[in-house]
Amino acid sequence: MRITQFLASKLKNFSNLPKEYIERSRKQVYWQTPREKNYLPRTVERKRFRYTTNRPWTGQFRQQNMPATMRRKVLIEPVEDWSFFRGDRIEVLVGKDKGKQGIVTQVIPERNWVIVEGLNWHYRRVGAEKEFPGIIIKSEAPLHVLNDIRLVDPSDLLGTEFEWRFTEEGEKRLLWGEITFQPKLSTFEMDIMEEMGIKEERTPAKSYWY
Amino acid sequence: MSSRWYPIYQRGNPQLRVFLPNFWMKLVRPEEAQPPNVVTFSVSTEMTIHDVRSYLEKIYKLPVIDVRTRIALGETRRDQTYGYVTKKDDVKYAYVTLPKTEEFTFPELFEKKAEIKEKEEKSMDESKNGFRKFLDRNKKRPGTPGWYSI
Amino acid sequence: MSTILKKCFNLAKTVRTATITSLLTAPKQQWQALSAAASQTPHAQMMHTSPMRHGLMEFFDDPKHWSENDIKVGRAWRTDELRIKSNKELHQLWFILLKERNMLLTMEHECNDKMEIFPSPERIDKVKISMDNLEKVVRERNTAYHLLETGETGERPQKRVNNAFGLQVNYKSCEHVLPPFMNLKWIKSRNIGFGGRAVNRFLLKYREQLYNAKRKAKNRSRNEVMMILRRNPNFDLEVLRRKFPDVDIDKLRSADKARGHYVPKVGV
Repeated sequence: MRITQFLASKLKNFSNLPKEYIERSRKQVYWQTPREKNYLPRTVERKRFRYTTNRPWTGQFRQQNMPATMRRKVLIEPVEDWSFFRGDRIEVLVGKDKGKQGIVTQVIPERNWVIVEGLNWHYRRVGAEKEFPGIIIKSEAPLHVLNDIRLVDPSDLLGTEFEWRFTEEGEKRLLWGEITFQPKLSTFEMDIMEEMGIKEERTPAKSYWY
Repeated sequence: MSSRWYPIYQRGNPQLRVFLPNFWMKLVRPEEAQPPNVVTFSVSTEMTIHDVRSYLEKIYKLPVIDVRTRIALGETRRDQTYGYVTKKDDVKYAYVTLPKTEEFTFPELFEKKAEIKEKEEKSMDESKNGFRKFLDRNKKRPGTPGWYSI
Repeated sequence: MSTILKKCFNLAKTVRTATITSLLTAPKQQWQALSAAASQTPHAQMMHTSPMRHGLMEFFDDPKHWSENDIKVGRAWRTDELRIKSNKELHQLWFILLKERNMLLTMEHECNDKMEIFPSPERIDKVKISMDNLEKVVRERNTAYHLLETGETGERPQKRVNNAFGLQVNYKSCEHVLPPFMNLKWIKSRNIGFGGRAVNRFLLKYREQLYNAKRKAKNRSRNEVMMILRRNPNFDLEVLRRKFPDVDIDKLRSADKARGHYVPKVGV
């Protein structure tokens, strides 16, 4: 597997959540036909979501994308080879932390954003009430990957330009456990029946498929 | 073909055996009071009484005396704004009777959770109380910084 | 029920209880446990880490997980890992996964009932992925057998046909006792071909709908390119060309919408 593909596959799955779960928790179905034979499979659901620092499987995301709320489309510039991953050291080019270096803690490819640990932060007030001014916490704001940051060369710790190149290497695959499957001229069912000692003498009568 | 394909039966055919059953069963809290040896399940709609019985006997090793099923109509709801009607899927319930000696009461799963929640709320309350105390103390000397008195 | 079948189920049960907390966490460890249990049944009792739960309590999670907000689990079983397992082990794993899914569904239902948060709901998806992968592997094996023995895949036959509306649909064949020429009921019931004024009108409108969807998609990508060029006049055109292959970018560069809201530099 090429390293680009490998890293790209890590991009969205870093939270150890399967794609299906993320899809399912984000879904907003307004109306759908019953999944019966006499209905055409039609679904009316939300297609456009506003992606923010709240991840699609959280309640905050749902709250920001409440049913029947529409927000303006955000223009996303296409990034061909995504090159910013968790744990990368980057340099900030804008804002009050301009020139500082930090480690990427979160990647939001839907908006071309990364969040850097301890940089580009502001104070946020949480849990304010009439009598109580709330607790102040520090939260990091996202940085745009094309304009606001650049990668740092690990050899001299200076910001650099970069380029993807290929290495010609064979595909390596790691497999766990011992191989217990031995190919045999039998189907799964026949094998299990033999294992359990079930004997079946009868043969099915001829039937027609059409 | 999937091992779950249900072949048509003709006389003399081999017995139908399901090797990878895909039926699901949920144990649900009974809506109305039941005898202690009756358990309510919500099951796949395709399951028959015989399926439920053999499922519990073979996979879960439960002694089953009797099974009754019913299909509950999924509730319909009219959308408040646009007026279209949506309907939830139908659910099949199975009432399984175990032997008289067996007893089952649905366990309370969230007894401890309330305590944990209380603790979390307590910490928030404490910080609120601390702030109130700070205000009370500094009522008569406005404008003094926080480090002025310990 | 044969004694071997009973033994099999017992095995599945012991293995499940032993590895209930880490069913999905470490396939390697689990398989070691599973194979160990398979080879030495009497000693399977030795490796219990959590108390064994019987009967109806198998429908519930481990009691120490009841009050937790987050339960750590690993990933789902992959196809590659399942391909090297024997049929017997796959059969056992299927029942482990089936019980796990029933348990998760029960817990989710109860959590929804009591207005509580269901901890780690992605577990359901992981079990589902594992089961799908397992079935895929079994199917692969059966297809290989059928291809070798009969020259056919042994799957349910399918073909593309036109339905009464003149649309292409996937027709899944059904099994019948009678051959097609003798099955009068089937001959009467099926519709062959399509036509008529109503169908033609329907098709006309249907194709218009398809065309409109295509046209709108094209316009949308055209607008997007113009917006990108407007905000970022120095954007890499090659990237744009690769990303939007059906948009004439050179023509769009001079479009009015693609011009930014700034005074152009004269003489450059």
